[in-house]
Amino acid sequence: MLATSSRRRPLGRTILHVALVLSMAFGVLAAAGGYWSVIEAPDLVRSPYDPAVIAAARTVPRGKILDRAGLVLARNAKDANGEFYRVYRGPAISQVVGYASQSYGRAGLERAYDAELTGLAGDALTGAFRKFGASQYDPGDLVLSLDYGLQRDAVRALGTRRGAIVMLDPTTGEVRALASTPTYDASTVTDPATAQKAFAALQDDKDQPLLPRATLGRYVPGSVFKIVTAIAGLGSGAVTPSTTYQEQPAAEKRGLLVKGFRVHDGHHPQTGSTPLDLVSATEVSCNIWYALTGLRTGGADLVAYAGRLGFGAPLPFDLPTAVSQVTGGTGKAPGGFVDDVELANASYGQGETFVTPLQMALVAATVANDGALMRPRLVTAVRSKAGTREIGPERVRQVIPADEANAITDAMVAAVEGQLGRQFTTGSKVPGVTTAGKSGTAELGGTGEPHSWFIGFAPAEAPRIAIAVLVEQAGRGGEVAAPIAGQLMAQYLAANP
Amino acid sequence: MSATPRTASAPSLPRILGPIRPRPRWTETRLLAIVALALVVGSLSLGLTLAHRFVPYDPGGLAIYLAALGGAHVAMVLAGRRSDQILLPAVGLLGGISLLLMQRLPQDLVTLDVGGSTIGLGDIQLAWLCLAIAVATTLGIVVRSDTWLRRYKYTWAAVGIALLLLTFVLGVDVGGQRLTLRIGPVSGQPSELLKVILVVFLAGYLSENRPLLIEQDTRLGPLRLPPLPYLAPMVAMWAIALGIVVVQRDLGAALLFFAVFLALLYAATGRLSLVLIGLVLFVLGSALMASLFDHVRARIDIWIDPFADPLGTGYQIVQSLHAFARGGLLGVGLGAGLPMVGGRLPIPEIHTDFPLAALGEELGLVGVIAILGLYLVVVERGLRIGASAADDFRSILATGLALVIGVQAVIIAAGDLKVLPLTGVTLPFISYGGSSLLANAVVVGLLLALSDKGVEPPPPPTTSGWRSRLRPSRLRRRSP
Amino acid sequence: MDGFLAVIWIVRLLFLALLYLFLARVVRSLLRDIRAAAREPSSSLGRLIVLDSPSGEPAQGRSFDLDAITTLGRDVNNAIVIDDPFASAEHAVLTYRGQSWYVEDLGSTNGTYINGGPVADLSPLGYGDEVAIGQVRLRLERARPA
Repeated sequence: MLATSSRRRPLGRTILHVALVLSMAFGVLAAAGGYWSVIEAPDLVRSPYDPAVIAAARTVPRGKILDRAGLVLARNAKDANGEFYRVYRGPAISQVVGYASQSYGRAGLERAYDAELTGLAGDALTGAFRKFGASQYDPGDLVLSLDYGLQRDAVRALGTRRGAIVMLDPTTGEVRALASTPTYDASTVTDPATAQKAFAALQDDKDQPLLPRATLGRYVPGSVFKIVTAIAGLGSGAVTPSTTYQEQPAAEKRGLLVKGFRVHDGHHPQTGSTPLDLVSATEVSCNIWYALTGLRTGGADLVAYAGRLGFGAPLPFDLPTAVSQVTGGTGKAPGGFVDDVELANASYGQGETFVTPLQMALVAATVANDGALMRPRLVTAVRSKAGTREIGPERVRQVIPADEANAITDAMVAAVEGQLGRQFTTGSKVPGVTTAGKSGTAELGGTGEPHSWFIGFAPAEAPRIAIAVLVEQAGRGGEVAAPIAGQLMAQYLAANP
Repeated sequence: MSATPRTASAPSLPRILGPIRPRPRWTETRLLAIVALALVVGSLSLGLTLAHRFVPYDPGGLAIYLAALGGAHVAMVLAGRRSDQILLPAVGLLGGISLLLMQRLPQDLVTLDVGGSTIGLGDIQLAWLCLAIAVATTLGIVVRSDTWLRRYKYTWAAVGIALLLLTFVLGVDVGGQRLTLRIGPVSGQPSELLKVILVVFLAGYLSENRPLLIEQDTRLGPLRLPPLPYLAPMVAMWAIALGIVVVQRDLGAALLFFAVFLALLYAATGRLSLVLIGLVLFVLGSALMASLFDHVRARIDIWIDPFADPLGTGYQIVQSLHAFARGGLLGVGLGAGLPMVGGRLPIPEIHTDFPLAALGEELGLVGVIAILGLYLVVVERGLRIGASAADDFRSILATGLALVIGVQAVIIAAGDLKVLPLTGVTLPFISYGGSSLLANAVVVGLLLALSDKGVEPPPPPTTSGWRSRLRPSRLRRRSP
Repeated sequence: MDGFLAVIWIVRLLFLALLYLFLARVVRSLLRDIRAAAREPSSSLGRLIVLDSPSGEPAQGRSFDLDAITTLGRDVNNAIVIDDPFASAEHAVLTYRGQSWYVEDLGSTNGTYINGGPVADLSPLGYGDEVAIGQVRLRLERARPA
């Protein structure tokens, strides 16, 4: 009946509007489908919550993890049901390699490189075509730059104390040892027979063995931070290697007054009334010289140059890292300092300054590498059926010019080998090799023992290894951290001529 | 009820009905052929994947289903009504996809003991599908007058409210929602049928009061509203929707009712102000519900960030999204998806709440868009039937029926894709569930009946008939 | 990719392709309908002009587009409502069968007349002929050219 009612046509038009709205709703749904199927798919497909990944973990052999020499650090074993579980070489590597457990997730490199180890890595295109192949998974083996023997000895050197050791090649950024103690045996977490009890015990352990102190631990640096101040001072042009301060010798006795706060030098023999320059101030670890240098450099530049070294952001590394800071950043003074007192304190590594051992190792490595910061690396290659992907050295930036870095090297050599210096860094010298370094005794305030620090590199002329050693609350830097560093550097240089 | 003269009785079709004669429905035949081919290929795909042989996976079940579709087609041809020819194939394809999915899922998800033997998921769904096809076809053929719908709208409303109250009071709590009514051995979800009753009532009410709702005003500030007494049912609807949320904890049904109601209100009156007020009421109501009721707030929290608790409350939706991600563009193939976790499916309630996720994984984005397209086709047919209907009642009724299917599909698809919070509504024709299938079959049957283009005039009287047939294309002027 | 895998994937992709073939066919049908509907308004089959209407309903001079079946009478549900005291509720029906128009009286009280002559049963109606229902006279005309 085509009789035209005067109201009929509006009904048709309103129905058309409804149709349009509904079509738009379907369009939104199609777009949402596209979002989850295509855009978010790569992340979701590799997530450990994906049942396909969980199923694959039980049936597809995970890639192995090898050290620098090809020693197997992580491998697969089959349990009673024929399902795979992980076995690790030893407790020394637990915080680096981590674990891949059926029930407790993943940690360390097992987590960071989960996609490669499971075999789901690759871009969206290869992922799209993967399903057409016979097997969806191409697990890759990881080749690390780690030296297992060195790692084990580093852990042994720390003994029962809590601490961390980082050793890396300053010219390439390859990490040779990344030790944290106390450590644990990751195999007990992945072995189905012992997993539950082991994991519960680890979580309850007050010493926090699951915490990788080398990368995630944040500590007051103490005097080792002076190298950063030196970098900032020279780099910004505020000081030169021959800068001296007239008021410094006198202040040795009374302390330096900075806005009502007295900066003291707690521990160095009389240097007489000679004002100190960079090398001699570093040799005796002079707080006053560094405080004055820090004040002269200014908070903004100090924070800026620290930022060039990697402060203020997580470090670009294969494992998660904590952020090292020069100051809390809440103050109104330049750089975020509250006032000059905090700036002075930060200049010699006290105050609101917190660093990770890895960061300090990078500081030493930058000085060693003529001022060029290299990206730290653990994984050097990923080998799978599809081929080998090599990960090469990467230069992040030139922090300071080579000549300034060399001046700091001279200062650090004096700190280890100088007449006065060697009293603070006993044992850190590698016999027969010019060694550079700096010790630190980080006061914590209160009644606790200070942290014992040492950073350094050897040989000073053509460095092949840089190191940072931290021993928690162990007393003076020279006494505990320095000998460990010397021993390990010597060991490495002997094994790697 | 003030019956205005315009709608005193249903417009009856002219009495020269002529004999009921079979009429070919070629479009429907061609489309059903494609449907059959597609389902056979799909079944082959299942067979290749699951049984590793080039044979349809459950040939018996597929044959029965195709026979049911074919029988329905033959019945429609024989009955000779000039109704829509696209609805049955589209719904048939959706049902076929459902059948393939239910055959592919573990058969012990739902079992029924009959006599001594146990019937599994696939066969139960097959039975419901065949029953649904029968119901839709029967309604499409038999319903010739809409008097019984049009005249007794308040009766229908009362039946609906009675059903609702019955479920409120006697309903059984299943999975946190009081949706199921169990009378003896039979259990079903009355809310499914309720949505059809609601549309029937609204069609009657809105078509009857349309002139008043359009032309008369009360002013509320800058807004021009229909007279307040006529707004009362609208507020009553809102209150019912809230009631459903509160008592039954069925957010999906409440959303569906309210959305369909608003859409029909707009379609009937064309007044945007009403829609705006409705949206405001919706927002207010949602906020109220969210602040008062934990289960509502929990749903909204899970919707906003399901990854915050991927193993706990967010598990279902996270697994659903993972399924879509695994599917990617082309899917992993029918039967090849849904990796088991500890011997169980990764997504709980996959056969009722998440069939789209399963299809997303196995058919990919391409398949999901095709399925959404099928729903759009069904909705479009319904809306077109509405737009070209003979009078206002049929128009609004057809529009409402189309919306019931379309909006429900949107709500559950949006829930699976995290566009909206997850609700418990079913995906029409694809989800497992007898109540849902039957209610949607009633919808399709009514749409078929409404789409009857009416009787063609019988052939001319024989004295002049076949001579004119010899010259078919020329208009001949005839004198008495 | 081995042979079996290739076969499986061909079948899977074929299934998806068939889904889209169905949709394409539907769209083709829809477009055909829309095009037909667009042509419809101008291709009505004929017109009925109101010559004489004492009661005013339908309005004099008004022209109705005719469908294949058009009912006339006093009942409001007729296609053409003739509100005349001498018209019955369901008075007559005008149909287009084959190629010509026919009018049939539906058992009205006062009968239907073509050009003054009474309509017995199904009677042919030509363009220019007049139909009288009650006091209302209407004339059949050709459709307005598109």
